[in-house]
Amino acid sequence: MGTTESSIVDSARARPGLLLVALLGGLLLVDLAAKLAGVDLGPIGGALSADRLGSNLWSGVVIGLVIGLAGIGLSMTYSILSFANFSHGDLLSTGAFTGWGVAFLIAGFGDVPLRALLTVGDAGSATPGDIGAHVLSTPLAILVGLLAAFAVTAVVALALDRAFYKPMRDRDGISILIASIGAALIVRYVIQFVYGSDRRGVTASVEASNLAFGPLGISVNAHDLTIAVAALGLMLAMHFMLQRTKLGTAMRAMADNKDLALVTGIPAERVVTATWIIGGGLAGASGYLYVLLRGTIQFDFGWLLLLLIFAAVILGGIGSVYGAIAGGLVIGIVFTTSTIWIPSDFNEAAAFAVMIVMLLLRPEGLFGGVSTA
Amino acid sequence: MSADEAEATDETAGDDPGDAGDSPSADTDDSPSTAGGDTPLSAEVDAGTTHTLDGDAILRLRDLDAGYGDLQILSDVDLDVADGEYVTIVGPNGAGKSTVMKTVFGLTTYMNGTVEFEGESIHGLPPEQIIREGIGFVPQNDNVFPGLSVRENLEMGAYILDSVPEDQIEEIYDRFPILRERKEQKAGTLSGGQRQMVAMGRALMLDPDLLLLDEPSAGLAPDLVADMFDRIDRINDSGTAVLMVEQNAKEALRRCDRGYVLVNGENRYTDRGEVLLGDEDVRKDFLGG
Repeated sequence: MGTTESSIVDSARARPGLLLVALLGGLLLVDLAAKLAGVDLGPIGGALSADRLGSNLWSGVVIGLVIGLAGIGLSMTYSILSFANFSHGDLLSTGAFTGWGVAFLIAGFGDVPLRALLTVGDAGSATPGDIGAHVLSTPLAILVGLLAAFAVTAVVALALDRAFYKPMRDRDGISILIASIGAALIVRYVIQFVYGSDRRGVTASVEASNLAFGPLGISVNAHDLTIAVAALGLMLAMHFMLQRTKLGTAMRAMADNKDLALVTGIPAERVVTATWIIGGGLAGASGYLYVLLRGTIQFDFGWLLLLLIFAAVILGGIGSVYGAIAGGLVIGIVFTTSTIWIPSDFNEAAAFAVMIVMLLLRPEGLFGGVSTA
Repeated sequence: MSADEAEATDETAGDDPGDAGDSPSADTDDSPSTAGGDTPLSAEVDAGTTHTLDGDAILRLRDLDAGYGDLQILSDVDLDVADGEYVTIVGPNGAGKSTVMKTVFGLTTYMNGTVEFEGESIHGLPPEQIIREGIGFVPQNDNVFPGLSVRENLEMGAYILDSVPEDQIEEIYDRFPILRERKEQKAGTLSGGQRQMVAMGRALMLDPDLLLLDEPSAGLAPDLVADMFDRIDRINDSGTAVLMVEQNAKEALRRCDRGYVLVNGENRYTDRGEVLLGDEDVRKDFLGG
């Protein structure tokens, strides 16, 4: 009888951290079950409706998909260009402002002055209600805005590469990282200069915007659903590109071994260009979707979100596209479900705590060592 | 550099002359008596020091100076490879053997001299262009993409073509049948010998006129080394010129047409492989006796 018990004891001795985490996780699960059952046992238990847990999980998935989508580009530039790109967050802002400018242009054309539309409501006194951008009332505007966010951000990312990163291609990662912080500041304050610095609402409110799914007993916000579909679609396209196309295979090859890719005859600069277009474009799209989720926009939201994106990418195993998606989902779900136990002011801290614990237990990240571009 | 690691696995270049030279291939005709028969002849004819060919060479290096950054490794290196020829570069660690190959591919700091392939200078061309000209390169370590399948590794070797050359892939599968069995497997999960086949297969995808091999036996289990050299012989027999750097100097010189002995980044001896093997100075100073 001794073997299994002693091996459990041994592994607990070898990794006391794991034991602690398992205990804590178990406790939270027991507490969650007690809350759902409505049992109140002193410190644990309480009341929590299954609906609330369900909606927490769902909004966690939605946020997680947006963060994961944003993380793809960060992970790609890390694995293919070997540096942590601190301007990635501001690429989200770039996509959000330019994409929503285009969406507004289509949604409010003719009714609202052009300047107000293109500056996403900064100039003039147009309110989101006047413009009326909403996926149910102006679906075309929302879709074209998403495409514009992708396209413009891809161009901006490529321009930043040509201006700053390409001349530094052979430098070490730290130098380029510092340069990317500079690029981040430039982009952020150009955005502030053009679009203003106030936070404002973007999406109009539309009556009955919750789509009910009767049989499943849940109702889902139309924007949340749009975000989930768009993000999953882009992720699938990304997966297809990486696994089935020559360019994607070359990207994975370069992520695996840059020197070998060079002597194999893979044209490195063309792959790098494609990396910026795809990674930057996805960052722009995710910034645009994040604004659709929040309903508000502000010039530095991407920068503030960058830390969470980094957390997701590191959690997933930096350099892995699939890790970025998985890490985003974990971060998103922790972000929203942690409010069951702690005030929502602290949910970001909970996300980082989970990241740190994960890294202590599995330093290479969820998908670490599996190099998939 | 990595040549140090290679030496650890290298049996034939050991210090003990009698044992090291014969043990891996004791059953071949390379018995001491045969070698003894060669020695007097070779000893009379010392290894040559003419480093260039009279006739046409497809690869022609002249007065080549190169290194890394400010550090010069090669000085005044001359080297020729004729069409279909099998040439090896041997020499002690740090002699600049691998640097010669990397310089052909433009991966070092070029300082002076000429690098010509098929009559035209290839100096300054990007690697993908050099591959297009007809040179394939198998680096020493980490020479497969571990996260890519065997087939994807091969496909990457033909990246510059518009479409995947299926017939060439079939040819490589015929040459290395184990790769056909493992085509969907990630290259990172293969054994050392199989990886070496993937790396060679990838370099052969464009059917190059010249194949550069950097230490193909490095890291291979001893019983696979002879097999690898046999495969290289067959590649050469099918018309591809081979320029090989090899720590396993005796075996390499036995197999090749001509050998170059490089010391401190300079040419020292150049001659037919068996002449170099028979030369007393070469044996003593560079082949461990």
